[in-house]
Amino acid sequence: MSTINVLGLVLLVLMVLVGGKAGLQSFLALLLNFGLLFLAIVLVAFHFPPLPVTLVVGLLVLALTIFMSSGDDLSSTVAFLASAAVLVLLVLLIVPVEHWALVQGFGPEDSEDLEGLSVLVGISFVQVTTATAILSTLGAIAEAAMAISAGLSEILEQHPQVTTKALLGDGITVGKQIIGTTFNTLFFGFFGGFLALFIWFTGVHYSFGEILNDKIFVSEILMILFAMVSVILTVPITAWVMTRAIAGQRRRVAKAQNDHEN
Amino acid sequence: MQGLLKKRRVTLGMWLLVLVVGGLLVWGTQHNAGLYRDPIMQVTSVQTGATTHEEDDFHNADRQTKQVLHGHILNGQYRGQRLTVTNTYSLSGAMDQHYRRGSQLFVVVHQHAHGLTATAKDAKRDTPLVFMLWLVIGLLLLIMQFSGFMAFLSVAVNGLLFLIAIMLNGSTQGARVLWIFGSLAVVFAALTLWLVLGANRQMLITLGTTLGGTALSLLVALIVFHFTHEKGMYYESMQYVTQLPRPLFLAETLLGSLGAVMDESTDIISSLFALKRERPELSAGQIFKSGRQIGSTIMGPLINVLFFIFVADTFPMAMLYLKNGNSWGYTFSMNMSMGVVQSLISGIGIVLAVPLASYLASRFMEKKVHA
Repeated sequence: MSTINVLGLVLLVLMVLVGGKAGLQSFLALLLNFGLLFLAIVLVAFHFPPLPVTLVVGLLVLALTIFMSSGDDLSSTVAFLASAAVLVLLVLLIVPVEHWALVQGFGPEDSEDLEGLSVLVGISFVQVTTATAILSTLGAIAEAAMAISAGLSEILEQHPQVTTKALLGDGITVGKQIIGTTFNTLFFGFFGGFLALFIWFTGVHYSFGEILNDKIFVSEILMILFAMVSVILTVPITAWVMTRAIAGQRRRVAKAQNDHEN
Repeated sequence: MQGLLKKRRVTLGMWLLVLVVGGLLVWGTQHNAGLYRDPIMQVTSVQTGATTHEEDDFHNADRQTKQVLHGHILNGQYRGQRLTVTNTYSLSGAMDQHYRRGSQLFVVVHQHAHGLTATAKDAKRDTPLVFMLWLVIGLLLLIMQFSGFMAFLSVAVNGLLFLIAIMLNGSTQGARVLWIFGSLAVVFAALTLWLVLGANRQMLITLGTTLGGTALSLLVALIVFHFTHEKGMYYESMQYVTQLPRPLFLAETLLGSLGAVMDESTDIISSLFALKRERPELSAGQIFKSGRQIGSTIMGPLINVLFFIFVADTFPMAMLYLKNGNSWGYTFSMNMSMGVVQSLISGIGIVLAVPLASYLASRFMEKKVHA
């Protein structure tokens, strides 16, 4: 058996042992997310437009990740709506910045890997790189939205009469609690992946100015920064969506009571 | 009411201040050519030339266009000199740039008897980089205030440590990469948790879980590697490798999972401390059970975060492989398999940290937690 299969099996067994049914569901979500990511790559290779493909795949990934992990209905719905809104905002930010920064495709550091490959494939790499940046932040958006909405629904459980204005403030407070560790997850996750690249820069003695303008370096740092912006934006947006959902719920309850009294 | 109005005006002022600073930064990086040693050219006009159609062996059609860029040098000994540079760009643009009027680019200047000629080297990219950095810090401070500042501080300190470790790795020719980044992981975790939680018992328990979970995941990985003889792992597919790939891969995985495991154990353990504060009568067994419950809801999304960071990055190269007539299986092996292995190892660490955090918290929490 190959290493990937055995490691996957170990992960599956551990997730079921620790989390039971929820663990099994999370494992399935992970598997499906991989399938979706691969599907996106194949579709783009078949000349489907990269941005619409990314948006559709992104929404599916968010839905899978959020609805397949155990949470109550209200917090899952709020987390999904909020993360979808963040995804759209993020696209509006990433598309112009990627056009501006000219970091599409590959850099001189990739030339060894590109040997024997034709790069003139007729697909816009600006859009492919944009899609990459959007996809790499999906996990972080889903996680942050779920953390905020779960925290808020816990507050609602304990203080059912909290005003929507106070709830918005509570959302920011929950956000303040998670932002430090979430940033570190992103920092270590990305820097772990770029370790080889950074070692390359010091080994080949790039000057500071060369690194700051290097295509690959700028592209990778922009990806971290996009992920950080998306996590920051997720906090107020999730809190706001939660207040709208609660306000709607209370209106419906009040109306039902009125109808009942009449 | 008076106080409220005053407070509002202050925050409005802060937003304005952040905007002005951002504008200055962007303007500044567009006029910082003097800081660079390599000559930078500002494009003032562009002539677009002929477009040719290209087709490769795999029937990929593309278009290449020639352009002539007119402009002047912004810095150095050739400052102010007018130049003309020819450039070719393609529709796909994987390895070339489409320059426009107003673009700034690095050029290599050749001096001849009858004047200067130059070739385009690469675009100048510091302006968008600084802009995004400003956006992150600005939003962080405006929305999260002090907590945002602390989050930024811990990332900045970790970045600095990371830089020092890379220098250290370079000076030892990469021979001790796993030791360097292994000990760095301990320092990273201790420092970050100290910044987030302060020096107390909760921080020690969280630190123990973080280090234990990460170490256990590497141990499990090494055992699996041993029994499967690393079948299906293509170290040669790793990008930008300049030293022995296997220890480098392990160091990358170690760092990658450290942050997520730390995130998770902080969440679980602080929730358990809060629980104990509210209901001091809970037994160690009950605490353990709650910890497992909290952990099993957050582990899935966290594994997802790392999965997308590790694997989405391979999108452009994987697509290129497919367009060059490679099979799905080969494309996966050569581009995505190492990222998937990394995600799986990190996932194992994240899952193992759940019982570890619950056990350590239930065992070493004080009988009465002080608020």
